[in-house]
Amino acid sequence: MSLRMTPGAVVIGSLAILAAVVFVVVFWPYASTDYTPSEIYRARSSVEDGGRAIYIANGCVYCHSQSIRAFDWDLGSERIAQAGDYVADRPILLGSERTGVDLSQEGGEHPDDWHLAHFINPRYTRPNSIMPRFAFLGDDKIHLLTRYVQSLGLKQADHRMARQVYWKQEAIKAYEAGPVANVKWLAEHVPPGWRNLANPYPTTAAGLARGHKIYQEFCIGCHGPIGDGMGPAQPYIYPPPLNFTILQGREISGGILYYQIMNGITGTAMPYFKRELESQKIWEVGNYVAVYFINQSDAGAEPKGIPSAWEP
Amino acid sequence: MSKSQFTAIQTNSTARGFCLTSAFWMVIATLAGLTAATELIAPDISGNVSWLVFGRVRPIHVNLVLFGFVTPGLLAAAFYFLPRLLRTELYSEKLGIAAVALWNVAIAAGIIALAAGHSQGREYAELIWPVDVLLVITFALLFWNLIMTVRRRQEPILYVSVWYACAAVILTGVTYCLGNVVWKPDSGALVGIPDAILLWFYGHNIFGLLLTPLSIAVAYYVIPTAIRRPLYSHTLSLIGFWSLLVVYSHIGTHHLLQVPVPTWLKVVAIVDSIAMVIPVMVFLINIWYTAKGSLGEVHADIGAKFVFTGTIMYFVVSIQGSIMALPQVQRVTHFNNWVVGHAHVGVLGFAGMIALGGLYFILPRITGKPLYSRFLADLQYWFVFLGTIGFTTVLTIVGLIQGNAWLNGEMIYRVLPELQIYYIMRAAVGLTVFVSALIGLYNIVRTLYFNPGEAA
Repeated sequence: MSLRMTPGAVVIGSLAILAAVVFVVVFWPYASTDYTPSEIYRARSSVEDGGRAIYIANGCVYCHSQSIRAFDWDLGSERIAQAGDYVADRPILLGSERTGVDLSQEGGEHPDDWHLAHFINPRYTRPNSIMPRFAFLGDDKIHLLTRYVQSLGLKQADHRMARQVYWKQEAIKAYEAGPVANVKWLAEHVPPGWRNLANPYPTTAAGLARGHKIYQEFCIGCHGPIGDGMGPAQPYIYPPPLNFTILQGREISGGILYYQIMNGITGTAMPYFKRELESQKIWEVGNYVAVYFINQSDAGAEPKGIPSAWEP
Repeated sequence: MSKSQFTAIQTNSTARGFCLTSAFWMVIATLAGLTAATELIAPDISGNVSWLVFGRVRPIHVNLVLFGFVTPGLLAAAFYFLPRLLRTELYSEKLGIAAVALWNVAIAAGIIALAAGHSQGREYAELIWPVDVLLVITFALLFWNLIMTVRRRQEPILYVSVWYACAAVILTGVTYCLGNVVWKPDSGALVGIPDAILLWFYGHNIFGLLLTPLSIAVAYYVIPTAIRRPLYSHTLSLIGFWSLLVVYSHIGTHHLLQVPVPTWLKVVAIVDSIAMVIPVMVFLINIWYTAKGSLGEVHADIGAKFVFTGTIMYFVVSIQGSIMALPQVQRVTHFNNWVVGHAHVGVLGFAGMIALGGLYFILPRITGKPLYSRFLADLQYWFVFLGTIGFTTVLTIVGLIQGNAWLNGEMIYRVLPELQIYYIMRAAVGLTVFVSALIGLYNIVRTLYFNPGEAA
C-alpha cells in the first residue's frame, strides 16, 4: 500500500472529513430549517420560561419526553409533534427516554393543586410513580415549574387550562354548598344513560381483589386507604378528595362511579382514567369502592340483559 | 508494527496522572450510577436533598463515565504508547501533567455545577460553558503535546494507533465546541429542531470520534504487543480508519427517526448506520486475525484480556447499533431501557473494558514491577464483564417490556410496577460494578505507590 500516513494526512484529512460531514448533516439542515410556527404555537411568558429553567436544572428531560410519535397511545397522543411546535425552544427538550409520561400536552390535564401535591410527593397523586420528590424546590419554584408544565401544549394547553379554571370555580361552589348538594351536583353531570346503569359485573371475591389492586395503584393517594378522602394528597387539594363513606343512600349507581372514574372531574384533582384502565378494571375498582366504602353496591342487579358467559 | 527498542528513561508522569484520574472517577461515576439506579426502586430515598434528585445524579453518572473514567483511561494508554511507537520522549511531561490537572479541575467543577442545578440540559452536553472552555483548552493542550511528539519522532512510519489517537483528540476538540454551541455561553444550545440535529451529531460523536478511535488505538497497540506479533494488515488499518471517520461521524440523526427532522437526513442516517458494519468489521477482522492462534498469550496478560474482551463487546454493540437504526426496530426500542442497555455494552463493555485493559497493560511497564495484585485485576475483570452482561440482559428485557406494552396501548403507569423487579436486578449489577471500581482504584494506587513487588 503506497498511501503514506503522514501527520499532515492524518490531521488535515480528518478535519477535512469532519468539515464536509458538518456541512452536510448539521449546517445544511440548519440553514434550510423552516421556522414557521405550528398552529398551536404561542410565545411563553417569562414566568413559564422561569419554570422551564427549573425543568432543565433538575433534569426532568431524562425521564419525560416532549416528542409525540405517530404510533403513541399515552398522554398527548391526540396530536403528533410538528417541527413548528418547537420554534422557541432553546434548548429543545425532546428527551431520549420515557421513564415517565410524555409531557408535550400536559398543560391543563390537571388543575394546579394536583401538581402541587404531585411535586411535594409524586406518590400522593400517582401511587405507582417513581418520580423524585420536589418539595425541596420550595413554594416559589414549584409555582414557576407548575406554570411551565401548564403551558405545555401551548394554545391547546391554554384551552384546557381555561376549562380547568372554569370548572374549578363550579366545583368549589358545589363543595361549599355542603355534601348533599355536592353529591347531587356531581351526579347531575353524569349523562342519564350512565346514571341509570347498574354495574353489569356481579360482586365476586376475585373481582373485589382486582378492584382493591387498582384502587391501591391509582386512587389511594387522594381518597385514602379507607375511602374517606383523607389520603396524603388531601391537604394540598381543594375541593378535597371525595369521602365515599357519605354516599350510602344517595343513589350512586355503578354507572355513575364508572363514568366519573372514566372521564374524571375536570376542575378538581380527579383525573380521567380512560387511558390507563380498560373497561373491566374500571367496573371492578368502582365495585370495590361501592362494596367497601359506600357499603351499597348494585353490581349484577336486575335488569341487566343477558348474563355474560363467564359469570358464575 | 515496529517493535520499538527505545530505552531512554521515561517518567510517564502524564500517563500515571491519567491512570489515577480514570481509576478515581470510575469510583465516583459508578457510585452515581448506583445511586440513580437505587432511586428508581425507592424514589423517596432522595428525600428532600436537591443534589440527590435523579435528574441531577443521572447526568453526573453519564458525564463522569464518559469524561472521568473512560476517556482518561484511554488517554493514559495513549500517552504511554505514543512516545514508544514514535521512538522518542513525550514532547512535554509538564504540559501533560498540566493537562491532567486542568482536566480534573474541569470534571470536578462540572460535576459540582450539575449537582447544584447548573446544566445546559442537553444530553452529553450538560456541562456549563466555563467547564466547556476548560475542557476545550485541555483538548488543545493534549493535541499540542501529541502532535509535537509526532514531529520529534525518530520512527518514520506512523503506526495506526498514532493516527487514531491524534484524530480522536483534535476531532473531539472541534465537535465538543460545536456540540456545546460554545459561541452561545448563556444557553449552549441552538433553537428548535436544528438543536436536536446538532445535539445528536455531537452526542453520537462522543462515541464515534472520541471513545471508539481511542479504544481502537489502544487495542491496536496492546494486542500485537502482548502477543509479540505484527498487525495482520496495514491495508485494513487504512480502510478501517478512513471509513470510521467518514461513516461514524454523520449518522447521529438515527437518534431522531421519530422526530420531525428532514426525511433525507433520516435516510442517510439509517443507510449509513448499516454501513457501519464496514469500519467495525474491518477493524475487528484485523485485530482478531492478528490474535489468531495466540489467544493463550492474550489470556495470560490481564491488560490484553480486558482489551480483547472489549473488542468482542465492540462487535456486539456495533451490530446491535446498526439494527437499532432500522425504523421498524426503533418502534419498539426507542424511548426505553433497551437503549440504556445498548449504551452500557458500548461504554462499559467496549470502551470501558479497553480503558481498563490499557491501564493494566501499561502499569507494570511504567513501574517496572508486576501489578500489585493480578488476582484483584482478574476479579475486577470478571465483575465488569458480568456487570456488562447483567446490564445488557436486564435492561434489554425492561426495554422490550416497555416498548411492546406502549405499542399495544398500555400506559406508563400500568407498566411501571412490572419493571421494579428488573430495576432491583439492575441496581444489584450496578453494585457489582461499583465494587469493581473500588477494587481497581485500590489495585492501581498500590501498584503505583505502595508496591512491594520485585522489579521485573
